[in-house]
Amino acid sequence: MKLVFQRYKNPTFFLSLLLVLIFGLCALRSGAVEVNWNHWSKLFAFGHSLLFSEGVTHPLDGETYVLWYLRIPRVLLGVFVGASLGLSGALVQGLFRNPLADPSLLGVTTGAACAAALTIVLISKQSMLFSFEVRVWLLPFVSFMGAFLTCMFLNIGASWLMPGSIAGLLLLGIALNALGVAVIGFCTYLATDEQLRSLSFWTLGSLAGANWTIVPGLGIVLVAVYLWCRTQAQQLNALNLGEATAASLGVLVPRLRWTVSVMVALLAGVSVAFCGVIGFIGLIAPHLARAFVGADMRALLPISMLLGALLMLTADTLARTIVIPAEIPVGIFTALLGGPFLMLLLHTKRHRVE
Amino acid sequence: MLKMHNVMKQLGLRRFGPYLLQIRRAETVAILGPNGVGKSTLLRLLSGAYQPSFGLVCLNDRPLNNWPADTLSQNRAVLNQSQDIVFPLATGLVIGLGRVARAGDAVCNQIVASAAAMLDVSHLLERTVDTLSGGELARVQLARICAQLWDVEDGFILMDEPIAAVDPGLQDLMLETLMRFARIRRHAVVAIVHDINHALRYFSRLILLHTDGQLECVKSGLEAKHALERLYGIRLSCLHDEQGDLIMFPLRRNKSKNSQFF
Repeated sequence: MKLVFQRYKNPTFFLSLLLVLIFGLCALRSGAVEVNWNHWSKLFAFGHSLLFSEGVTHPLDGETYVLWYLRIPRVLLGVFVGASLGLSGALVQGLFRNPLADPSLLGVTTGAACAAALTIVLISKQSMLFSFEVRVWLLPFVSFMGAFLTCMFLNIGASWLMPGSIAGLLLLGIALNALGVAVIGFCTYLATDEQLRSLSFWTLGSLAGANWTIVPGLGIVLVAVYLWCRTQAQQLNALNLGEATAASLGVLVPRLRWTVSVMVALLAGVSVAFCGVIGFIGLIAPHLARAFVGADMRALLPISMLLGALLMLTADTLARTIVIPAEIPVGIFTALLGGPFLMLLLHTKRHRVE
Repeated sequence: MLKMHNVMKQLGLRRFGPYLLQIRRAETVAILGPNGVGKSTLLRLLSGAYQPSFGLVCLNDRPLNNWPADTLSQNRAVLNQSQDIVFPLATGLVIGLGRVARAGDAVCNQIVASAAAMLDVSHLLERTVDTLSGGELARVQLARICAQLWDVEDGFILMDEPIAAVDPGLQDLMLETLMRFARIRRHAVVAIVHDINHALRYFSRLILLHTDGQLECVKSGLEAKHALERLYGIRLSCLHDEQGDLIMFPLRRNKSKNSQFF
């Protein structure tokens, strides 16, 4: 029974969940507009009056409006996007059996951004044809397709071009990445001024687009993918023993690859669609998680998700508070946080080897 | 029964086979042959890792690709040659993964503990595999195979050089343990081995894979001497040890034959 219950005994899960909550509350408090408990109670009163009495009795004042329509969605989006990136990083590393793999390194996020850029430049002229709902969900869908096609191409291409070669997979990913960057560059060249502004949002990455339409959608996608991943964790562990061995153990390897690719594409595609390309978290979060709970996917997936959320939350809060009222692109901070973390990790590994 | 009927495999420009082969239940078979002659390919065809280009491989009169993956994994276990574990899993988990295809497996932890005790790796269960030595890792992988077929009978164990990285004392221990495990449960064992004496001591039948691609089956024992000599192009000398067991020893190559190259 010991092996089965190991992950429940591990305090890391609850500790990181607690940390995410604390960091989330801190992030809600900090920002260009001061928000205190007074505004929270106003918000609750507003919600209460909406729910239980006819009509709105007292309208929201400025700070409470900021809290409800800007701050809360943004913090939630940060948590969800960070969790998505952390989870997809852990999945990609498990799927490709490679500690270097990461959605942005393999070109999956670039594929998503590339599809989004093409959509912005080619379709936005006809944007009046679509209703608002279609326009909100068109980009997520398109970037999911971009991420999915990249994943499939990696899957099939790498096993066809260089069977069994991990280096081959990474090289193919880098080639795809370069290709995607070229297409995005071409789109930038073609774009009008207005399109250029929304394009730069994609390539730099930002959480500023948070609103109450996209946050629940992303949350549902994340929870659904995570619940599904939990059932596949042991199969991914078996894949770690090698593809041939996993197959001999009764794991349907092609089906597993296919479904995990879809899940990674879903996570990467949707988070790219809402926040643009945010690098590093998908690489760092699984490595950090592995240092805490080991390589067992059953523990690694949730911890990697929570640590991803934590990193993203920290990076985004720093990005929007350091130079108030201006905002620094969050990608700069994920890299600033991620780089030293990775070096520290390598350092601890070096000691273990000695 | 594991049966191959006129099975051929095309890999690039090379063609392997046709192979005609039967492995009965509870039989122990060693596959021997020079390097690069297709021993691993033969084993992969037997395990279902390779689809044959022509012909059928049947397990209990049912083609391998007709078996559901989880049921098949409960009837045959495979120990592959290259076993790189990228992320350092705990040893206990690696052994337990032998039973990954059984949903809701209540006896898994018990079996992991028994299999680990049988191969003398109980003290390693909490360690991660990246800290194990080659011999320890080989025993852990063997324990995984045993856990996979622990509570079934008439299974098939296929192994590709299971003891290549292990010292002589441990080689004997591992093979003896495995054979005892297989005998109790009437599992058949098919293994690629390079050591003639291991093949003679632990296996009842030898499959010799010749350089021209021909399969030859011989009974293990003194009568295999000429076939083995032809197989490797060497001369063997037979001895008996104190317990009366047969030992074959390669003699030095004929010097004049070698010297024509120099």
